[in-house]
Amino acid sequence: MSAYHRPRIVTSAALALSLALLMVLIAGRSTERVAGEKTPAPGPLVMPAATVPAPPNRVAVIRERHLENVELLTQEGRSVRFYDDLVKGRVVAINFMFTTCPIACPITTRHLVEVQRALGARAGRDVTFISISLDPERDTPEVLRAYAQAHGVGPGWYFLTGKRDDIERLRRKLGAYDLDPVIDADRKQHTGLVILGNEPVGRWKAIAALSKPVRIRQAIERTILPPSQWPTGDAVVKEGPYEERETAEPANLSNLPARN
Amino acid sequence: MKRRLTRRDLIKYGALGLGTLTLGSRGLYSLMSQGVRNARADDSSNITRPSTTPFLQELPIAPIATAVAPFATQADPGNCVNVDGTRAFHVHGPRSVPANTTEFYLIHERAAAHNFHPQLPLNSIWGYEGMTPGPTFLARSGTPFLVRFVNDLPENDPVGIGEPITAIHRHGGFQFPEDDGYPLDTFCGPSPATGNQPQSRDYFYPNEADDLDPQNEHSTLWYHDHAIDITGQNVYRGLAGFFLNFDAVDSFAGEEDLNPGALRLPGRMTTLNGRPFREFDVPMVFQDKLFDANGFLVYDTFDHNGFLGDKFLVNGVIQPFFRVARRKYRFRCLNGSNARVYQFFLSNGQSFVAIGTDSHLLEHPVTVNNFRIAPAERVEVVIDFTNTSIGQEIFLVNRLQQTDGRKPDGLVSPGTQILKFIVDRDAADPSQVPADLRLVTVGPQQLTVNAQRTFEFNRSDGAWQINSEFFDENRINAKPTRGTAEIWTLKSGGGWVHPVHIHLTEFFVLSRDDGTPPPLEQGRKDTILIGSNVGDVRILLPFPSEFHTVPRPVSGRYVFHCHNIEHEDMRMMGQFDVQVT
Repeated sequence: MSAYHRPRIVTSAALALSLALLMVLIAGRSTERVAGEKTPAPGPLVMPAATVPAPPNRVAVIRERHLENVELLTQEGRSVRFYDDLVKGRVVAINFMFTTCPIACPITTRHLVEVQRALGARAGRDVTFISISLDPERDTPEVLRAYAQAHGVGPGWYFLTGKRDDIERLRRKLGAYDLDPVIDADRKQHTGLVILGNEPVGRWKAIAALSKPVRIRQAIERTILPPSQWPTGDAVVKEGPYEERETAEPANLSNLPARN
Repeated sequence: MKRRLTRRDLIKYGALGLGTLTLGSRGLYSLMSQGVRNARADDSSNITRPSTTPFLQELPIAPIATAVAPFATQADPGNCVNVDGTRAFHVHGPRSVPANTTEFYLIHERAAAHNFHPQLPLNSIWGYEGMTPGPTFLARSGTPFLVRFVNDLPENDPVGIGEPITAIHRHGGFQFPEDDGYPLDTFCGPSPATGNQPQSRDYFYPNEADDLDPQNEHSTLWYHDHAIDITGQNVYRGLAGFFLNFDAVDSFAGEEDLNPGALRLPGRMTTLNGRPFREFDVPMVFQDKLFDANGFLVYDTFDHNGFLGDKFLVNGVIQPFFRVARRKYRFRCLNGSNARVYQFFLSNGQSFVAIGTDSHLLEHPVTVNNFRIAPAERVEVVIDFTNTSIGQEIFLVNRLQQTDGRKPDGLVSPGTQILKFIVDRDAADPSQVPADLRLVTVGPQQLTVNAQRTFEFNRSDGAWQINSEFFDENRINAKPTRGTAEIWTLKSGGGWVHPVHIHLTEFFVLSRDDGTPPPLEQGRKDTILIGSNVGDVRILLPFPSEFHTVPRPVSGRYVFHCHNIEHEDMRMMGQFDVQVT
């Protein structure tokens, strides 16, 4: 026949084993979906005795590919490891900034401060804010502490400095880069993303830092909550102010094409 | 100082993770390879991926969706969690649908095991009825559909690609705002918060030409997920399918239609294994996917440039073959990729006869040596195998190389063989490709233009904007009046491309870079590529006036956006609110 209906029921032993492994993984991972409490990192992925490979564990894959455990300094001068001490088991909102950044960073910081206030008690408890300096030599812990105070930053928000190479790697692996090397060399270009992650469940996304604070807060809520509890629809749309950008001009009809 | 990462650096960075790795050696290699990709998304040349022998499996054809007994329509779910009283943005209670004509369908979104290739392990995909692509809807103009989509996607999914919250957009369709898959009109899978019950939403598809004008009869539509922020993951995981529309001219009977007004394009209804089957009229969705060293599907939620795969799939499987008879075939080509643009050639130098673009047939067939197809675009072509010989093998070749999610690099030779046609028999061919297909009677010369607007698609601060703003759920970018036409200029200043998709209507391309658009952009379009090396466009959009199957004026909010889905998810989207007066 020239074509066929794909068999929908596959009965091979390989499928049975793969599905069994999937089930094991599901069972092993279905412990915690609610953030706010730090959950233990997932255990080591169990390789099967047979040669059939197991599907990857999303949490482990993201940890290995994207969450470098580099050493950083907080604005209090405390030495921390990025993954072990700040990200592991938490919901995080990460941005890159530097204190002398002229326009974008202050707006971003102001937006995040608004978000932090709107989250109230949930900030710091349900979500940890992490701001990492792209100018680590200048942005010492003291400078960062003063910057945080000047912006009215609340508790549960880390401002971090460290080795430039470490931070560059973090930045790239978290997606705050530009493929154009000229643009990528301009660090102001990397301050526009808020990278959101729910580490224990392996859910990561980003939102533009210049979005309205209400949209950033909603995105954080969608990171904290399982999808079935996401606010959606009317409640989300209308929580932000209605805006119009009516740009219509009278039509210029002079260059409409002639039809054959 | 910015420093180019060297291969040695990358190996070093890969080795940094050694102490915490608990995976086997193959897994370790996979992770190191992935590090290379993430460190420099434009350098994937030295990554080891699972090898797959091409052309081992036959091209699958998705089964035709079958109607079910009529059921009572329901109110749209207000939200994923109804208890707080919040509601979907567009809501509809139990609705009145034409009792005598409406066909009812029930489609479950499910996780399922899927065989992308015999040399890869089975993968868990998400699909409509557990398949990717999903069942193909065959609609006849004048017979409306009420489709209940049920979200049975698991909340605790171990794969980590996709979120089990969905909105279904029938791409190219003329439908009410509440049935358009507006990104905030979502519904969820079973979870404790829903009492472990799946949520569902009823979508009404009138299956009528816009304003009942025959020139607006639709041809090849598709349906896919459109949930806010996560469309890229959900579509990549498999949530896409075809929706084909027929009318008196481009008819269901196809080449067997005895009506003198019928086009008799290739294609007819038959049965296969006891099920209805459409022969010689073949929907083909082209997608690219990435697999890890063990053969499991990979997606990168940290990549906002546009996600690229290195395996090429047709109808959900890697590089299939398709047995054909020595006669004409109609192929409905859909680019269902997240970010990749293709340019297709036939290996024997044969031409394609293009008969349709996006949702509509062209006015006249156009013979082309090759065609480019951007994400979400459709190109319908007839390939005539009459003059081939039995046993001949002909390859469909993609010669457009793309290593950067934002834009293609350019044409290469010989390119990649995507699909192998094997000519294996003779068959009668009563089909034809008439010189006149779907004539336009109300086009740029006849339409009265009410207003013009400009939308610039640009990149800023690592994400994507329209007119220097990120999508905001409560911002209206335009207020066109129903029953009028507007000219929109779509521009992109940066070094990348954007396939721009506008919901509700299909437009005419007036010009590309102030010049005559190429032949395959002289028909109706709903998605158009702009940007680097392709230029800007001016398009003419007729906004329809009335729905007739269920009488109602056209009005309300619809979105338009970049269909590079990573760009869309990073907020390259706007919305227009159609005004009644």
